[in-house]
Amino acid sequence: MAQPVHAPRVNNNDDVVKVARICVQVGDAVAAGDLLMELETEKATVDVEAESDGYVLAVACEQGQDIAVGAVALWLGATPDEAPPQASAGPVTMVADSGMTAKARLLLRRHALSAGAVPRTAARLTAADVEAYLALHPPAASSAPTPRRSSIELPAPAETSPLSSTARGMLATVTWQRDHAAAAYLELEYDPRPWEAAAAAFMRERRLLFSPLLSLMAHRLAQFAHNAGANATVLEGETAQLVRYKQANLGFTVQAGEVLYFCVVNAADTLAASDFVHKLFYLQRRAMGHNLTSAEMRGATIGFTSMARWGVRRHQPVLAPNTGVMIAHSASAPDGESAILGMTYDHRLLSGFDAVRLLKTLTQPGSY
Amino acid sequence: MDTLRRSVEQTHDMNMQSPVTVSDPIGVPGIARGSDGRPIIPADPAALYAYAQAIRGTETLLLDLFSKGQLSGTTHTCLGQEFCQMAVVRALRHADDAVLSNHRNHGHFLTYAGDFVGLVAEVMGREAGVCGGRGGSQHMAFRHFHSNGVQAGMTGIAVGLARAREMDGSEGIVAVMIGDGTLGEGLLYESMNLASVWPAPVLFVVEHNGIAQTTETAGTIGGDMLARGAAFGLTTRRVSDADPALWRIAAEAVDEVRATRRPGFLVIDTFRLGPHSKGDDLRTESEIATIRARDPVARLGDSLDSERRAAIDTSVADLIAQVAATAAASSEATDRAFRPSMFPPPTCLSDIAPAPPAPPATTARSVRTALNAAIGELLNDDPRTIVMGEDLHDPYGGAFKVTAGLSQRYAGRVVSTPISEAALTGAAIGLALAGYRPIVEIMFADFLTLCADQIYNHAVKFAGVFPELSVPMVIRTPAGGRRGYGPTHSQSPENIFAAIPGLTVLYGSQRHDNAALLRNAVQHWPYPTLFLEHKLVYGATEDPGRYRPLPAHAKDAGGAAFPTLCRRSATPDAAIVTYGGMVPFVEAAGERLAQEEELDLDILVLALLAPLPRHALIEALFGYDAIVIAEETHSGYGVGAELIACLAESGYRGTIRRVGAPPVPIPSARSLESAVLPGADSVVAAVLDAIAA
Repeated sequence: MAQPVHAPRVNNNDDVVKVARICVQVGDAVAAGDLLMELETEKATVDVEAESDGYVLAVACEQGQDIAVGAVALWLGATPDEAPPQASAGPVTMVADSGMTAKARLLLRRHALSAGAVPRTAARLTAADVEAYLALHPPAASSAPTPRRSSIELPAPAETSPLSSTARGMLATVTWQRDHAAAAYLELEYDPRPWEAAAAAFMRERRLLFSPLLSLMAHRLAQFAHNAGANATVLEGETAQLVRYKQANLGFTVQAGEVLYFCVVNAADTLAASDFVHKLFYLQRRAMGHNLTSAEMRGATIGFTSMARWGVRRHQPVLAPNTGVMIAHSASAPDGESAILGMTYDHRLLSGFDAVRLLKTLTQPGSY
Repeated sequence: MDTLRRSVEQTHDMNMQSPVTVSDPIGVPGIARGSDGRPIIPADPAALYAYAQAIRGTETLLLDLFSKGQLSGTTHTCLGQEFCQMAVVRALRHADDAVLSNHRNHGHFLTYAGDFVGLVAEVMGREAGVCGGRGGSQHMAFRHFHSNGVQAGMTGIAVGLARAREMDGSEGIVAVMIGDGTLGEGLLYESMNLASVWPAPVLFVVEHNGIAQTTETAGTIGGDMLARGAAFGLTTRRVSDADPALWRIAAEAVDEVRATRRPGFLVIDTFRLGPHSKGDDLRTESEIATIRARDPVARLGDSLDSERRAAIDTSVADLIAQVAATAAASSEATDRAFRPSMFPPPTCLSDIAPAPPAPPATTARSVRTALNAAIGELLNDDPRTIVMGEDLHDPYGGAFKVTAGLSQRYAGRVVSTPISEAALTGAAIGLALAGYRPIVEIMFADFLTLCADQIYNHAVKFAGVFPELSVPMVIRTPAGGRRGYGPTHSQSPENIFAAIPGLTVLYGSQRHDNAALLRNAVQHWPYPTLFLEHKLVYGATEDPGRYRPLPAHAKDAGGAAFPTLCRRSATPDAAIVTYGGMVPFVEAAGERLAQEEELDLDILVLALLAPLPRHALIEALFGYDAIVIAEETHSGYGVGAELIACLAESGYRGTIRRVGAPPVPIPSARSLESAVLPGADSVVAAVLDAIAA
């Protein structure tokens, strides 16, 4: 039966010993008292000798290695052909999803890819697999702006602090517009009263607690954006490509206290007006309670924002990353007879004429 | 009035080196002062009576002010015990003599300092108070006088202070005042034993008034009182404060300690005329009447010529009126030097710059060797360095051999002590107060709880209550498990101690320059410091690897002297913060996560656990999406929890996970121990969980 030879405790306070020299090889015959190995600590060197005659079955350490006191250093057997016991399995890897490495999962999430889309070169999907896929299928746009380190000298003594999440989101948005879009702005003056009447009727008929005016306008945007060519973006690269989204995901800004959220109604163009209104109300409620999931804030293809709540009469919004258009709703004039609807759009997608036509459509309510 | 206040402030300067002439203090008429400003009370009946009456008048004034709502907090008067409190203190005339007292200290203080306004104003919470209102009735400090409200708490400190006098070659001695109730506390016996073994010139004075707060001595003390002192080899004496021999016997006790440089034990039988504190006297009228009838102060007054006595009583009444008026005229205490922490504000950091780095060791060395070398250098470079602990002497060299070879080279300064963790800690406080740089070794960190009162109620209180004082002491101790030592020899109690305001807690690792950490703690950091060393790290080779110090933030006290190390990767997916014995496990986890999960981790290794270098850490950690904090100890209420609170307060929104032991005893069996203590597996799981969130 195979007998283990353990690393001895040389000093009471040393829990590891260094393997200074291994004097035998697997298969060697040894006699009791033969030198098997030399171990050393800071203070002493000790010889490890065979306690009985036998054969070296296995050497479980390497020269120069630190091994734990009490660990098996080598195995001896009565005959040369015994099998030393198999070392017990190493530590269990606690991977939640063994189909991919954690890094691969991070990359998939970062680029909003599904694992099924990415071919794997080994049993587990690796970061290299995802990166290879990304090289062939460039993402719609980089999801995060390239950080630029400012080298300016501060004009006055200052304290620096990290950006809040709202500020980080805004930085990503303006940086995308600056670096990856051709943003243009136009606006129309319109009579808001037909819209208000339509919203009031909608609210009455469906017994809503809140005015659906903004939701209905956003819904109308989702209805018309695609045909207007605004539910799209341009992918840059060696040859720029037009990307036309197959569904319109409508992003809608919600200011909840200090935090600005951009919640997204997916496939808004496929929803009936009342479904859309309910869905957007639900997201707004969640935003006000700071309960939005990250999935509920991702994937907008078009956007809608309003500053009417603060009495703003006109404002020029910033395009959200990868969107083609952002509508800016504002407060009506004091007489209630006129208001301004603004629109920032990606000029690479829309001409001014296309943009005006879409905006004009939005100044009038649909029939509900 | 201005002249008066100036003179009072002058006497408050505890850093004064030379005797000062107090120009016009409010003192007892007819009592002269020495060149050091202290009253000289001759042993003639009129002077003793006058001084005792002045003490009694002050105590009566305090009770009167209390009943009028003019002072808050508490007070413990020595009414009836005035002679008892005066006897030893008046006999201490050497400039280096020290008095350490307890909650009932007014008679000691007034006899030592003669500062009646300072006492009354202190208890009233006024600017003119001897400690500016920070201490109150129970916590007074004046030159070599210190009192504290924990009964036996000052006895170990007295031994250290007395030992310092001895090492200084001074003829000064220390008197430590306790009550008969204090005989119930164990630290007293550790202290008497230590004083006897060393020996140290300290006089233990038991003021035996026969009653605790309300419990009579018969219910609190078994056996013989004097035999307690004799058992430790102390010379014992006993006298009643009604005995005219009181003054002679007290002086003899003082003189003997001074001459023999050995400890003494003096019991003075006395009776308390007033309540323990206020309104808590349950004794019967007839008992009080008996005490009043034997009142030695009144009896001495009776022996005086009646005209003389009346004159003294009148002048004492005038004195008390003047003291009351002066104290009341002083404005309410405002701590202009108020600091949000007991550590230096940022502007003072340059005063505590880190020591220049030692020349790199020519060959790789273990952490144990590095610490041993550092202690040797400290002993060699600074004669004020004293190393104390159990079994430190050669050839044993300490349980973990950190002091090996030092007791022979530095005889008398590397001291093996009795198994008295509390007294040892107290003695270190006394030595530190006297200007020494004590390094205490506690054999296992688990035993730190035995030192807890000395750390929590004493070491950190001196500088906090009396800003002029500092207690530069270091307690080194091996911590942590994985050696199968079981529930009481395997713990890492940094959580408990990091929570103590004013205590610095350090924990080195094999990535740190442990010699530099220890040198800075001993020589450049004048605060009580706990220096934890993991048992498994002792044998590890010290090697910074790819770690670099995190830049210190100007707002973090100690950040530069005790740096956090950081090992960065090019594109980190998460950061792990750890310290002490967890470092190798975190590094192993990092390797596995890199190989199996392709994750890159940055690792931060703390050395300074308290005060936490929060500004530097927040700045360093804010950019990570995921942070894991790995501690070997249980993670509840801990250092990691504090760091997470700091991150949350600063608006961090990423994912955080904690790795630590569950709140159960650490088992002895290797298999069970490794199931309780967190290892690389736990760290791997926590990182994956954090990243998946």
